[in-house]
Amino acid sequence: MTGAHPVAWWSWALLLATAASRTANPWLLLLIIGVSGLVVTWCRGDEPWSGAYRVFLLIGAAAIAVRMVFYVIFGGAEGATVLFRLPEVRLPDWAAGFRLGGAVTTEGALAAAYDGLRLATLLVCVGAANALASPRRLLRSMPAALYEVSVAVVVALSVAPQLVSSVTRIRRARALRGNTRRNPANLMRTVVVPVLHDALDRSLALAAAMASRGYGRAAGIPAPARRATSAFLLTGLLGLCAGAYALLGKATPAPVAWGLLAIGAAAAVFGIAFASKRVPHTRYRTDRFGPRDWAVLAAGSAAVAGTVVSGAVEAGAVWPATSPLTAPPLPAAAAAGILIAAAPAALVPARIPQGGPA
Amino acid sequence: MASPASPRTAIRWRGALALGLAAAFGLVATSWPLLAAPGGALTETTSGPWLFALLLPLVTAVVLVQLADGGMDARAVAMLGVLSAVVAAVRPFGAGAAGVETVFFLIILAGRVFGPGFGFILGNTGLFASALLTGGVGPWMPYQMFAAAFVGLGAGLLPGAAPSTRLGRAGELAMLAAFAVVASLAFGLLLNLSFWPFAITEGNLAYVPGGGAGENLPRLLAYTFATSLGWDLGRAVTTALLIVLTGPVLLRVLRRTARRAQWV
Repeated sequence: MTGAHPVAWWSWALLLATAASRTANPWLLLLIIGVSGLVVTWCRGDEPWSGAYRVFLLIGAAAIAVRMVFYVIFGGAEGATVLFRLPEVRLPDWAAGFRLGGAVTTEGALAAAYDGLRLATLLVCVGAANALASPRRLLRSMPAALYEVSVAVVVALSVAPQLVSSVTRIRRARALRGNTRRNPANLMRTVVVPVLHDALDRSLALAAAMASRGYGRAAGIPAPARRATSAFLLTGLLGLCAGAYALLGKATPAPVAWGLLAIGAAAAVFGIAFASKRVPHTRYRTDRFGPRDWAVLAAGSAAVAGTVVSGAVEAGAVWPATSPLTAPPLPAAAAAGILIAAAPAALVPARIPQGGPA
Repeated sequence: MASPASPRTAIRWRGALALGLAAAFGLVATSWPLLAAPGGALTETTSGPWLFALLLPLVTAVVLVQLADGGMDARAVAMLGVLSAVVAAVRPFGAGAAGVETVFFLIILAGRVFGPGFGFILGNTGLFASALLTGGVGPWMPYQMFAAAFVGLGAGLLPGAAPSTRLGRAGELAMLAAFAVVASLAFGLLLNLSFWPFAITEGNLAYVPGGGAGENLPRLLAYTFATSLGWDLGRAVTTALLIVLTGPVLLRVLRRTARRAQWV
């Protein structure tokens, strides 16, 4: 039994991240981190990428730390409760009159911490997707129109380990010839160049093998169809550019600008789908998006729905004030939604790594 | 079809148009904090910037579909795969050390030898493969891929054919190194711009929604000075240095492969 579809995991994680971006309530953010951590520990396998979650936790902690350092040095929200004072420096007017140092208040520090926690939560959600979704299966779900590019990435993923073994092989041969010098120019000439030659020659052999099996022949795509695809793709790009440009100014009303952007995106997606339809490729063991994957998706949507409901009903709890100092309340609907998002931990079977429980 | 002479990826006018539009979109997607007018739609909401981060992969995909449409053959695909693997393999050497960037010199050299279309796709596939291998797919990845792709494209567009004299080779290296410095600094500033409104939201260095360029440009420059200028300079210096040191050998290796790939 394999895990859920990688697209389901990515959607689930991005929905959780969306929920996190809609609140600054520390309880909710910590709950989201907890839920993602729970699902990751239950559902991840023991592939090389499964350890990514811990790395992203560290990156999130770094984001909070950077945010706090910035607050202490460059100032931010003001407050009444002064924790301590740093010597204050005011830059001259030509440097825009920035203030460095000064009073550090509890309210300001708390606001900075909430904000940093929000960014950290977003990063942790992405880390969960990294740990859960198999990149190889994700590549198989790429649209067929990107076939050539995704084949290149697949080749890269399988060649990278070969490069490492190639380096070991060539270094051993070099040592056997009695060359153990360590100066960079010599290493470049006797290790890097042979490794690169080896890899590039191998790629030519691979290309010859692919071409002799009929790969890369001009498939019988009629010219009108090709022109239609290009028209859709270019219209989509034009719409996206026009929409982005309209969003910048205030000459265009906002609904028109968003509409342009949406039409452009739709045309681009349609163009890619249309191009994928025409590519005559068969797939080996297609990766289906099953009911369980839909359930994972629904669990993620519950978190977003919860924050939307809470944002409408109890906005003060979703965006808690830091001044005056109070303990932020826990919005019920949002918390319930986020707890539902933990459902994949029960839905997707835990994969016990070989060699005993983790 | 691609020209039978080498694995260069052909760019026809549709591909060029798509690249131009994508560049315009990318510029808006990164530098909107400076360009957004007060009272405009972007300054009124908080979700707009996230939308750009989600739309950028779509734009990249559209350009790749347009470029790959009949322009790539098996040799280009295989070569892209191997060079992306090399990019992914050398990238960890730069992680950790401040500002040491070990990816750009390869993308620049490969873009120079195999042309702008190949450089653009290599920038995308190389960073994507490296992110997949290390489990580092983050919100910064679309921006990095996009920027690296344009670094490769720019390297392919540099003038002049492969030189045959000693002086010509030195001139080519100098041109590539100068391009590396400019590209690294621009890359740093644009990536800063893409992340700046999210990294800090309050205080003297934060982005002011609706502030316009006059208010936000000094703040951005101060932010860059305070955070990343050392890294950006380090990236520019290491990339230029790596090009000068490894360029003569690598250009020869890549050109030899381009010659050997003439078997149609």
